[in-house]
Amino acid sequence: MPANDEARILRVWTPVLLRTILITAATILILGLLLMATRSPGYYVQRYQAVQAGGLHERERFGELIANALGGDPHSVMTVGLFMLTLVPLGRVAFCFLLFIRERDYAYVAFTAYVLAGLVVGVMLGRIG
Amino acid sequence: MPEIVGGLFALAIVAGLIGALSGLGGGVFIVPALVIIAHMPMKVAVGASMISVVATSAGASVAFVRDGWTNLKVAMVLECATVTGAVTGAYLAGIIPTVVLELMFALMMLQSAYFSIRKRGDDLVEHGDPLSRRLDLAGEIPNDQGQPVHYEVVNVFSGAGLMVVAGLMAGLLGIGSGALKVMAMDYIMHLPLKVSSATSNFMIGVTAGAGALVFLARGDVSTAIAAPVALGVTAGALAGSRFLPHANERVLREAFVVILLLIAIEMGWRALSGI
Repeated sequence: MPANDEARILRVWTPVLLRTILITAATILILGLLLMATRSPGYYVQRYQAVQAGGLHERERFGELIANALGGDPHSVMTVGLFMLTLVPLGRVAFCFLLFIRERDYAYVAFTAYVLAGLVVGVMLGRIG
Repeated sequence: MPEIVGGLFALAIVAGLIGALSGLGGGVFIVPALVIIAHMPMKVAVGASMISVVATSAGASVAFVRDGWTNLKVAMVLECATVTGAVTGAYLAGIIPTVVLELMFALMMLQSAYFSIRKRGDDLVEHGDPLSRRLDLAGEIPNDQGQPVHYEVVNVFSGAGLMVVAGLMAGLLGIGSGALKVMAMDYIMHLPLKVSSATSNFMIGVTAGAGALVFLARGDVSTAIAAPVALGVTAGALAGSRFLPHANERVLREAFVVILLLIAIEMGWRALSGI
C-alpha cells in the first residue's frame, strides 16, 4: 500500500474510531448515573462519603463486573463505562497495529505492538499490585 | 445525590475548560480541585483525573488528526517511551507516600508555569537525522496562506528520553504531562509548536490510558467520583476548544501562570504541613 494511502486511512479513520468509543463510553456513564439516581441514590452518597474518608477499594472480577452491569447494577454500569473510556487509546493503537501489519511496515508494527503490550502489562500490574 | 454529582460535574467542567484554554489538559486542574475543594484523598483525585485525561485527549484529537496537525508517526514512536514511564509510574503511585506525590505535583506545576512563560515561536530544521528519515517522521503543515510547509525531525532518542520522564510523571500524578511532552518535541526534536501541541494531546490518551488501566484494575478508581468528573471535564474541554480561537492568547497565558503558581504553592504547603 502506498505511504499516502496509509496516511489517508489513519487521518480519516482514527478520528472516527476515537469519537465512536468516546460517545459509547459517555453514554454508558450517563446511563449508569441515571440508574444510580433512580435506584439507589443513598448508596451513592454513602460511597462518596466513604471515599472522602479514605475508604477506597473497588476491585471487582471482570466476570462479575460484566454480569452485574448486564443485570443493571448502576455501580457496575459506570465502571464498565470507565473501562470503555480507557479503551479509546487501546482501540486506536490496535487499529494502527493492524494497518501496519497490512502494509508490512515492520518498524511501526514493532512500535505499536510494544505500546499494546505496555497497556496489557498495565492491567496485569494493577491486578498484582 | 444530585447535589454531589452536580457539584463534581461543575468542578470538572471548570477544570476541563481551564485545561483546554491553557493547553495543559484537564488533569493539571482537576487533581487540585478534587483535593482542595472536594476534600478527596490524593490517590482518588489522581485516579479520576487519569480517566478524564483519556477522555479529553480523545475529544480534542478528533479535530487535530482530521485537520492534519497531529504527526501520527512521531506519536507512535514516542508512545513506546511514554507508555514505559506511565506503567512504571502508575505502579509506583500505589507505593509512594501521598506527601511525596503532592510535592512532586507542586514541582510539576512550577515546570508547567515556567514552560508557559518560555513558550516561543517555531525553530524548524532543514534536514532530519538518519533515524528520523528511516522512520519517515517528517511532515507538512499549512502556513497562514494555506500553503504546505515541510518540517523535519531530529534528536529522536533525546526526545524519547524526556518522554519516559513525562510518562513517569503522568503515571504517578494522573496528569497528561502535556507541558513536558510539548517541550520534548518543540525544543529537542524541533517540531513546529502547533504540531507538538496536537501530537502531545494525541499521545496523552495512551499515557493516561496505560496509567488508568493500572488504577482501574487495582481498584483504585472510585466510580462514584470518576464518572461525573470524566463527563464534566470532557464537556468543559469541548467548550474550551470552541472558545479558544476567540481568546486573547497573551492574557490567557499570564492568567494561567498565576493559577499554576497558586496551585503549586497550595499543594506544596499541604504536603509540607501534613494536611
